[in-house]
Amino acid sequence: MIRPDAPVLLEIRDLHARVEDKAILKGVNLTIRAGEIHAVMGRNGSGKSTLSKVLAGHPAYTVTGGSVTYRGDNLLELDPEQRARIGVFLGFQYPVEIPGVSNLEFLRVATNARRTEQGHEELDTFAFEDLVRERLKVVQMDPAFLDRSVNEGFSGGEKKRNEILQMALLEPLVAILDETDSGLDIDALRIVAGGVNQLANADNATLLITHYQRLLDAITPDYVHVMAAGRILRTGGKELALELEQRGYDWVDQELAALAAEVA
Amino acid sequence: MSSSQAVGDLVSQPYKYGFVTDIETEKIAKGLSEDVVRLISSKKEEPAFLLEFRLRAYRQWLQMQEPDWAALGYPPIDYQDVVYYAAPKQQQKKASLDEVDPKLLETFDKLGIPLSEQKRLSNVAVDAVFDSVSIATTYKEKLAEHGVIFCSISEAVKDHPELIERYLGTVVPSNDNYFAALNSAVFSDGSFVFIPKGVECPMELSTYFRINSGDTGQFERTLIVAEQGASVSYLEGCTAPMFDTNQLHAAVVELVVLEDASIKYSTVQNWYAGDENGVGGIYNFVTKRGQCRGDRSKISWTQVETGSAITWKYPSCVLQGADSVGEFYSVALTNNKQQADTGTKMIHVGPRTRSTIVSKGISAGRSANSYRGLVQIGPKAVGARNYSQCDSMLIGDQAAANTYPYIRSQQPQASVEHEASTCRISEDQLFYLQSRGIGFEEAVSMMVSGFCRDVFNQLPMEFAAEADKLLALKLEGSVG
Amino acid sequence: MVASTSTRQLWVEPWLAALPAPAGELGPVQQRGRAALARTPLPAARAEEWRFTDLSLLAQLPVASVAAAVERPLPAPQPGALRLHWNGREDPLQGVELPAGLQALTPTDLAQGLGHTLAATGCEQHWPVELNQACAERVLALRVASRQRVNLELISAAGEGLQPLRLLLLLEEKAELDLSQLVSAEAAGLHSLVVEVHLARSARLQHGLVAFGRSDAALLAHLAIEQEPESQVSLSQVVAGWGLARLEPRVVQVDGGAHTILRGLQVVDGQQIADTHSQLEFRGPEGQLDQLHKAVAAGQGRSVFNGAVRVPREAQRTNAAQLSRTLLLSDRARIDTKPELEIVADDVKCAHGATVSSLQTDELFYLQSRGIGADQAAGLLQRAFCEEVLRDLPAAARAWCPLERLLEARA
Repeated sequence: MIRPDAPVLLEIRDLHARVEDKAILKGVNLTIRAGEIHAVMGRNGSGKSTLSKVLAGHPAYTVTGGSVTYRGDNLLELDPEQRARIGVFLGFQYPVEIPGVSNLEFLRVATNARRTEQGHEELDTFAFEDLVRERLKVVQMDPAFLDRSVNEGFSGGEKKRNEILQMALLEPLVAILDETDSGLDIDALRIVAGGVNQLANADNATLLITHYQRLLDAITPDYVHVMAAGRILRTGGKELALELEQRGYDWVDQELAALAAEVA
Repeated sequence: MSSSQAVGDLVSQPYKYGFVTDIETEKIAKGLSEDVVRLISSKKEEPAFLLEFRLRAYRQWLQMQEPDWAALGYPPIDYQDVVYYAAPKQQQKKASLDEVDPKLLETFDKLGIPLSEQKRLSNVAVDAVFDSVSIATTYKEKLAEHGVIFCSISEAVKDHPELIERYLGTVVPSNDNYFAALNSAVFSDGSFVFIPKGVECPMELSTYFRINSGDTGQFERTLIVAEQGASVSYLEGCTAPMFDTNQLHAAVVELVVLEDASIKYSTVQNWYAGDENGVGGIYNFVTKRGQCRGDRSKISWTQVETGSAITWKYPSCVLQGADSVGEFYSVALTNNKQQADTGTKMIHVGPRTRSTIVSKGISAGRSANSYRGLVQIGPKAVGARNYSQCDSMLIGDQAAANTYPYIRSQQPQASVEHEASTCRISEDQLFYLQSRGIGFEEAVSMMVSGFCRDVFNQLPMEFAAEADKLLALKLEGSVG
Repeated sequence: MVASTSTRQLWVEPWLAALPAPAGELGPVQQRGRAALARTPLPAARAEEWRFTDLSLLAQLPVASVAAAVERPLPAPQPGALRLHWNGREDPLQGVELPAGLQALTPTDLAQGLGHTLAATGCEQHWPVELNQACAERVLALRVASRQRVNLELISAAGEGLQPLRLLLLLEEKAELDLSQLVSAEAAGLHSLVVEVHLARSARLQHGLVAFGRSDAALLAHLAIEQEPESQVSLSQVVAGWGLARLEPRVVQVDGGAHTILRGLQVVDGQQIADTHSQLEFRGPEGQLDQLHKAVAAGQGRSVFNGAVRVPREAQRTNAAQLSRTLLLSDRARIDTKPELEIVADDVKCAHGATVSSLQTDELFYLQSRGIGADQAAGLLQRAFCEEVLRDLPAAARAWCPLERLLEARA
C-alpha cells in the first residue's frame, strides 16, 4: 500500500560494500515507507543478497560508503542483535542449523530481547508457550518443531516456515526476506507467502529479495527494483516483474552495457 | 576482531573463587617420609590397620614411577616440597555449627555453600572440607534416621572402623597407580557414605572441597557404599584460591555398589586453573573408580571439569554383576594453558553389562584437551553393549583437541560402538542468533550449553543450574 | 610365550651375520640399517606402539633364504598392464620393455629420492624399516612421467628366510599409476616390504596390496607416501593368513589440499596376529581423508588397529573421516582398536567411529527366514563385510580373487 505521507522506515543512500577485497554494492539507493512491499530482483551475483546481509550487519561484509538510516537513526553503527531488537528482521536464504540449542528456547530468548527493547515485560516460559502456539498457526507449523534443535534436520520448507515464525514473534517493522521462495514446493510457498501477507500491515514494510516472479504472484509488491552490478538499475511497479519474466534478464545486460558506454 | 577471537576472549574470565581465608592453620613440615605417614596417622588417632594400610602404600609408592603416558606436559613435581597435612587450628570437630570458626562459615557462604541452619539448602546435605579436614556436615541426624551414614572419613574411621576396614582400598588398591599409592599413604580427609540395604537416600549428598593454604597438597579420600537395593545421588564441588605456585591434589574415590543398588556421582570441578600464562593452578591427579559388584547394579559418573592447570582423571566402572550398568557423562572446558587428559574406563566383566559414554570437550586459548577412554569387553561379558560418543568443540586455532578411545574386546556376543566428531562455533551460527536480537555473549553461551546439554541433563536438578552458571561465569564479561 | 628381549635380540644376530658385506648401490643404506639394528633392541610390548603385537614368531623362522615362486596360477595380466615378478634379488626390469611414461630412476635420482619419504613420514628409524635397510640388496625405483598413465602389477612370492623388498615410486605432475601388488607366502619366512611414493601436484595413485600369508610366515610392511596438493591416493590393503602381519601405511599431505583414501581389511584365525598402524598427517589446509579399516577375527586370532590422524594448526578446513569396523567371530579371538585424533585447528571436520561386534543376528535371521542355511548366511554376511574394502582395489588385484582366498584362509 503506497501512502506518500507514510513515515520513512528505511533510507538507503549510495551504499557501497565489499566482502573480502571484492566490491559488491556500488551505490544502492532505496527508500522504504511504512505499509510498502518492495521486491528486489536480479540475477545471481547482482548484489541483492549482499544488500540483505549488509542491512542485517553480517560481519563478513564491510560498508565502504554511503548511509542507511532506520527511522532516522544510523543503522550501520549497530551490532546485528541491536538491529534485530529495534525491528529489522532478516529472513535467511539458508537458515543456519544450531545443534543442541532448542528451538523453543531460542525463540523465547529472541522474543524477550525484542520485548525488552520495546519496554514490554519479558514473557515467562508459560506465557511464551501460549504466544508461540498462537503464532505457529501463521505458518501452519507442527508444535513438535519447537522441541528440536534450531533448524537441525529441518527440510528446506520447514526452515523457511521457521523463519516466518520468528518474524511473527519478533514483529519487525522492516522485514527483509532473502530468497524466501528458494527451495520451496508450491504448497510450502503458499504457506510462507500467506504468512508474510498476514503479517504485513500499514505500520511495517517488507523487502522481498527474489529471483523469480512466482513469489510475487503470491505477495503483490508495491515496487519492483531490478538490481545489477551492485546497483538498482530500474524501479517500477509490479508490472516490471512480469516484464522480467517475459523478457528474461538479457535486456539488463544491454542496459548495463549502454550505461558503461555512456560512462566511457 | 574475528568472531573466534571474540569467543576466545569470552572464555577468559577472571576466577571468582581466588580469595584466601585468613585463618590460623596447623601445618606439619614439608616433605614425605615414613615418619610423616606415621605422624598423620597419629594426629588422626587411627587404628593400627589403617596405619598399616598407609605404610604399605607408602612403600609401594617408593617403588613406583610417575606415569608419563598422558598427553600432558609439566615440570617435575618435587614431592618433598609439599606439606602433607594442614588443618584450621580448631582441632576437635564441633558438635554444633555455632562453635565452628565464623571465618570458615563465611568462607563457605562466599563460595555459595551456606552451612548455617537458616541458610542451608533444604534438600541437600553438605560435608564441607577445608584443606585437610572436614569442618562440618549438615543433616547428619536426619540422615541417621534412615540409617544413612554421611560423615567425614576421619569420623568414619573412629565410629565405623569395621566398614572402613571392609571396604577401603578394595576398589582402588593402594598400588593401583602412582597417585593412588601417594593418596593411600597420606590421605587427610574426605567423605564417607553408607546407604544400608533397601534405603533410597532421602536427600542429595554433597561434599565441598576447599583448598586454602598455598603449599599444601590435598589428598582426600572418598568412599561410598550402597548395599543391596540402596540408592544415592552425591555431588562434589571444588575451588581453591589463586597462588602463583602449583598445588598438588591427588584424590581417590571408591564406589561399591551391591545388587540392585545405584550410585550417581556428580562432580563440578573448578579448582584454580592458573593465570593466562599457566602460572599457578592445581595439579589434579585423581583416581575414581566404582565397582558394580551385584547384579543389576548401576554407577553413573557425571563430571563438569572447568578448573585445574592439569587434570588427569578417568572415573571408571568395573561392571562385574550381571546386567550392571555404567555411565560416564563429561564436560571438560580448557582455556589458556590448561591441560586436561580425562575420560573413563568401562570394564565389562559380567554378562549383559551395558555402558554409555558421552564426552564433550571444549578447548580454547592454547589449552590441550584430550579424551582418553577404554572400553574393555572380557571373555565372559556375553551380550555386553557399549555406546560412546566423544565430541570436541574448538575455539580458536591454537587449542588442541585429542581423542584416544581404546577398544578391546574378547567377546563376540558383545557390541561396541564409538562415534566422535569435532565442531566449532561458526560465524554463521553466531550471526544467525545475533540477527534475532540475541547478544554475542548469550549466543556463545547458548551454543556452548547446547553442546553440553546431554551431560547437563544428567546432573541432579539442584546442580544443573550451578553447572550452567559456572560455564556462564567462564563465558561472562564484555567483548573487547 | 613372549621371549625376553635378550633372547630375541640373539636371533637377529645370526641373521645379520649371514648377510654378505655391504655392497652395491645400497651399500651405505645397508651399513646404516645394520648399525641401527645392532643398537636398537627389538620392539617389545613395553612400547605402546608394539603393545599387542608379539614378535616371537620371528625367532622361529629359518635364517637362510630360499627363493620361491607363486604356486597358484594367476590370471593373465590386465590388458595394457605391465606385470613384473619381483623377489628383491634379481632385477625385475631385466629384459623388460617399459611402457611409455615409465622409467627406471637414474642412480643420481635414486640417491636423491631414496629415504626422503620415510623421513618425511617420520618412520625412517622404525625397526622394520631398519631391518629392510640392513638387508635389501636392490631397490625397484620407477618414475611415472607427467600426464602419463601406467598400469603395473608386481608379483612377489615369499620364500623361506628373510626376503626384503624395497620400492621407490616418483609420480610426476598429473601422472597416474594403478599398482596391483601381490605378496604370497610360499614358505616359512619373513617378508619385509618398504614402499616410498612421492606424488607431485595432481598426480594419482591407486595402490592395492593383496598379501596372503601362512601361519609360519610374517609380513612387516611400511608404506610411506608424500602427497603434494591436488594429488589423490587410494591405498587398499588386504592381508590374511599371516602368523604375523604388521602394516604401517603412513601418509603426509605436505601442503594439504590432497585427497587420501585408505582401505584396510585384515583377517586372522588360528593364532595369527594382524596389526595395522596407520598415520595421516595434514601439513596444510583443505586436505581430505576417507579411511575405512575392517578386521575379521576368528579362532584365537588377534587383530590390532591404531589409526592416527593429525591435524595441526596450519591444516584449516581439513575434512577427515575414519571408521574402524571389526567382526569378532570367536570367543577366543581378541580385538584392540585405538583411533587417535589430534586436532589443533578450529575450522575442520573430523569424525571417527569404531564398532566391534559379531554378525548381526537380525540380518542372519532375515537370510535364514528366506531359506538360507545358517552357515551359508554367515558366509554371505562375511563376504558382504569384506566386499566393501575389496571393491576399492585396482582391477588386477580384484581379479586375483582375494575374496575366495580370504574365506579359504578362514576355513
